Amino acid sequence: MKASVKGIVINTFRESARNKMFYLLVFFGILFALSSKVVSFLTLGDAMKVLKDTGLAAINFFCVLIAIFTGINLVFKEIEKKTVFNILSKPVSRDEFIVGKFLGLALTMLTALGAMSAIFFVFVALSGGGFDWGILLYFCMLGLELLVIVAISLLFSSFTTPILSFIFTVSLYLIGHVMWTFNEFKALLRVPAWKALIQVLYYLLPNLDKFNIKNEVVLGTALNPWTMLFSILYALAYIAALLALTVLIFRKREFQ
Amino acid sequence: MRGRLLALLALSGLLLAAGMQQRYDSTINYFSERSAFVSLPAGKTLKALAFGYHNLAADLLFIWSIQFYSTYYISNRFDFLERVYDTITDITPQYKEPYVIGSLIMAMEARDIPMALRLLDKGSLRNPEEYMFDQEAGFYCYKYLKDYARAEQYYNRAAAKPGAPAFIKRMNAHLVYLRNDPKMAYQMWLDIYRHAGDILTKDSATNHLYQIKAEAELPQLQAKVAEFRAKFRRLPASLSELAVVGMIREVPRDFDGNEYVYDAQSGKVTAQRIFRWKKR
Repeated sequence: MKASVKGIVINTFRESARNKMFYLLVFFGILFALSSKVVSFLTLGDAMKVLKDTGLAAINFFCVLIAIFTGINLVFKEIEKKTVFNILSKPVSRDEFIVGKFLGLALTMLTALGAMSAIFFVFVALSGGGFDWGILLYFCMLGLELLVIVAISLLFSSFTTPILSFIFTVSLYLIGHVMWTFNEFKALLRVPAWKALIQVLYYLLPNLDKFNIKNEVVLGTALNPWTMLFSILYALAYIAALLALTVLIFRKREFQ
Repeated sequence: MRGRLLALLALSGLLLAAGMQQRYDSTINYFSERSAFVSLPAGKTLKALAFGYHNLAADLLFIWSIQFYSTYYISNRFDFLERVYDTITDITPQYKEPYVIGSLIMAMEARDIPMALRLLDKGSLRNPEEYMFDQEAGFYCYKYLKDYARAEQYYNRAAAKPGAPAFIKRMNAHLVYLRNDPKMAYQMWLDIYRHAGDILTKDSATNHLYQIKAEAELPQLQAKVAEFRAKFRRLPASLSELAVVGMIREVPRDFDGNEYVYDAQSGKVTAQRIFRWKKR
C-alpha cells in the first residue's frame, strides 16, 4: 500500500476511534447483546435460539449505526473544516484520499465488529451454546454488509450534507433488506416498462439481505457454499463500483 | 409563607390527582374482555417491515404470545390465536417452537384441536425432515379426537422421518391395535420385538404381543370348551382333552410359551398375565 494512502487510513482510523459516539455505540451494542440472556428467559423451548437472535440483532443494529454515523461525516467534515486542502496539497491524489478514507473507516468498523463478536462468541459459549462457529461466519457476512454500507455513506458524504447522507444511507439500507419483495412486485406489474424499471432497480440498488444469514446460523440449517461465494463476490464488486463512483464525484468537486 | 403555600398546592394537587385516578379506575373494568389487537400485519408484510430483523421480530411476537395467552382473565384472548401463530410461522418457517407451543395453546387452552392440527400440518409441510409435528398431531388425534386412523397416518409419517424416536413406532402399532386390526398390530409389534435395541422396547413389545395373541386365542378356546360341554354334557378336565377329542389340533400356548389357565370347575379359560390395554 502506498505510504500516502496508509497515512490516510491510519489517520481516519484514529479519528473515528477517538469519536465518543463510536465508543458509546460499541458499548450499547455489547450491552444489548449481553442482555439477550434476559430476553431468552421469557421464551418457551429453545432459549439459546432467542439469545442468539437477540444478540446478533443487537450487534447488527449497532454496527450499522456506527457505519452510518461515522461514514456520513467522513468526507464532509474534511471539506467543512477545510483540512482537505492540507491533505490534497500534499502528494496525495483525490482517488487515494477516497480509498484511504474508505479503508480507514473499514478498519474502524471491523475493529468494532471484532470486539463485539469476540465478546458475544464467548458469551454464547458460557451460556451453554458451545463454540458456535456459525456465529463467526455470520459476523464475517455482517462485516461485508457493513463495508457496503460504509461505501454507500462515503459516496453520499462526498457530495452532500451529513443529514442528507444519513437519510439516503438509511433509506438504501432499509431498501437493501426488502429487495426480495421486488421480484414479487414485478410479477404483479403488467406494463413492460414498469417491469423493466423494477428490474433495473433490483440490480442497481444494494441487495443487503443476502448477507443476512442469521436464520441459517441460529437454526443450524445448511448454507449453500455457492450462495456464500456469490454474496462475497457481490459485496466486493458493489464496493468497487461505489468507490469508483465516489472517486468520480470527488474528482469533479470544487472546493471553496 | 409563599413556600408553604406552594407545598400545600403541590400536596393538594397530588391528592386531587390520586382522587381522579381512583375515579378513572372506577370507570374501567381492567379484567373484562378487551380488544388486545390493534392490527397485526400478515407474516410476509411483517417480514418486509422488519428490514432484516425478522428473526428478532418472530422471537418478540412469540414471547409476547406466550405471555398473552397465559393471561387468563382476558376471556377473548383466543380471538386471533391462529392468525398470531400463522404470522410468527410465516416470518420464520423453520422456527419449530411456535408450531409446538402454538398447537399446545390451541389444543389445551382454546380446546380447538382442528386448529392445532392445521398449525402442525403447516409445520410439517415447511419442515419435511422434522418428525415432531406429525408426532404431536398424531397424539392430539389419538388422545382428544379418538380418531385412531388419522393418528396412525400421522405416526406413520413421523416414524418414517430421520431421528424419529422408537416410541413413535410403538405408538403406531398400538393405534393399529386400538382401531381393531389385531393381525396387523401383531405383525407390527413382532417387527418391533425383533428389532428392539433395548430392554424397554422389548418388554413393551412382549406385553403387547402377549395381549394381542391371548385376546385372539382365549375366545376361541372358550368357544371350544362350550362346544365340548354341549357335546359331552360335562366340562373338559383340562384343555388338552379338547385336543384328545379332536376339537383342536393342539393346545395353544401364550406368547411366553405357557399354557393358558383353565378352571375345570367353571370352565373359564384365562391368561396368566393381566391385560394392560383396553379398547375403547
